[in-house]
Amino acid sequence: MSQQPPFGVQAETASAVPPPPMIQVSNLSKAFGGVVAVSEVTFSIGPGITALLGPNGAGKSTLLRLVCGLTTPTSGSAQVLGRHTRTDRAVRGRIGLVPQQDGVFDRLDARAFVTLAARTHGQPDPVDAAVQALRLVELDPADRRPVAAYSKGMRQRVKLAAAMVNDPMVLILDEPLNGLDPVQRRRMIELFHQLADQGRCLLVSSHVLDEVSRMGSQVLVIAQGRLVARGDYRQLRELMDDRPHRLRLVSDQRRELAASLLAQGLVREVALRDPSGMVISTDDIERFSRSVASVAVDLDARIDELEPLDDDLESVFRYLVERR
Amino acid sequence: MTSRRSGEVGWVTSAGLVYRLVLSQLVTVGRVVALTAVGGLLALVAWAVERSATNSQWKSVLERQEDAAELIASLGLGSVVPIITLAFAGGTLGDLRNDETLVYFWLRPMSRWPIVVGAVAAGVTMSVPFAAMSVSVAAALLNVGGTMVTAAMLASLVGVVAYGALFVLLGLVVRNPIVWGLAYVIIWEGVASSFGSLPARLSVRGYTTSILGERTNQILECATRSEVTAFVVLALITVGSVMVASWRLGRLDVP
Repeated sequence: MSQQPPFGVQAETASAVPPPPMIQVSNLSKAFGGVVAVSEVTFSIGPGITALLGPNGAGKSTLLRLVCGLTTPTSGSAQVLGRHTRTDRAVRGRIGLVPQQDGVFDRLDARAFVTLAARTHGQPDPVDAAVQALRLVELDPADRRPVAAYSKGMRQRVKLAAAMVNDPMVLILDEPLNGLDPVQRRRMIELFHQLADQGRCLLVSSHVLDEVSRMGSQVLVIAQGRLVARGDYRQLRELMDDRPHRLRLVSDQRRELAASLLAQGLVREVALRDPSGMVISTDDIERFSRSVASVAVDLDARIDELEPLDDDLESVFRYLVERR
Repeated sequence: MTSRRSGEVGWVTSAGLVYRLVLSQLVTVGRVVALTAVGGLLALVAWAVERSATNSQWKSVLERQEDAAELIASLGLGSVVPIITLAFAGGTLGDLRNDETLVYFWLRPMSRWPIVVGAVAAGVTMSVPFAAMSVSVAAALLNVGGTMVTAAMLASLVGVVAYGALFVLLGLVVRNPIVWGLAYVIIWEGVASSFGSLPARLSVRGYTTSILGERTNQILECATRSEVTAFVVLALITVGSVMVASWRLGRLDVP
């Protein structure tokens, strides 16, 4: 992320020279009749995985279509590798897209489908490129069944292979893990990381928070067509100062520890849960972190476990989108 | 992935890829059966007319030629050719757009016009055996000489090409090209073009009928121009439709 995000999170280190953005979106808006699907969205991203997160109907797919040039923006612009995808034919050869829709050429088998994709990208050896891409997504290139006979998960992987067959620098993946079983999801996420490590830019949309948290920490959060946050989601959580942090604390003297923490104003609320654990809420996480160890020492109490309960992406997302 | 960089795809390759893919998608059992029935209906009517004329003692050879030309012009060139071509050509890029697979050609380093040319070629390839062949068979069944058969074949071939381009464009403009296309064929090509020379000049049928009329020496309704003019205008309609469709494809909201 190279521009000032709504929540002021900067992903790059200050000393590093930021790479040129691979996707740059400026004041991008799209309205369908009177319905605004995307509103004044601005961001730029470089190599690596960036997750586009938002609830269903938030405008994720429309935003991705705008980035690919598949639809005309009402205002603003989208550039990939410094070029306008809507009008620049050459840049389309450096983009790989997994569209959200299920439509593929059903009568073709997987190899024919991906080979067609390779040919339409002008690949010198389209069959070899297709075979390689299918192996990457763990599909058998020798399977002659038509794609129509495939499961949804297999079809998703065929689409992914077609998106990768031209060795693109920018991959736009719209809900690419839909229909995949947990093992396939994990493998595909590993593949995304490998592609990102090669310097590619992956913009991956999802409404499944667990997926996003495993894909990478860089997120763009979109709700009702607007970009509500972007950056590292853990840093985003840190910025949510108006909301107490919740932590689970396990101690051999939890009652005494709870009383002392409350007395010193380090916590706002304590809820005793299981025999040795409790959930505490604090408004000042830094002060609590500095002081909790010394309070325990003073009581001669042992802290067995202390873990944040709402540093996960779901909490961040709920806060940003629903403000609760 | 090993290093593979995309280059721009040449127009012949682009058109060929679209042609082969669209051709494979167009052939469905439903379409083939329905359009064989449409073509067969024309042949059946032609056979019935021929039987009726043969049994009639009052019809001269000239009258029979005139009846045959009218039948080919109205039912063949005015209905069967455009309807069959609509069913195939309207479903080329129109189907890809509706089933959301157009993106697999759109987001590629390919010019737009070869995509349209490939689609038109596929639509024409599918339409010719059903449309042009059924019109030619009908002309043969009318049994008024070889000139009628060659004239009907030529006029319907040229008509298939012009309608093909027109209906590929229609598939990129409206969501239901078959419904809109049928309305156009029935209302404009079928009815309005018969109401005078101006509507006839603005219809494809006016020119295909002109070719048939001049070749068979018949004065036909809607036939308002010379054969040369008809060929030129139909070529212009074809090229113009391809150009507009290419422009439209470039500006389309691709699902």
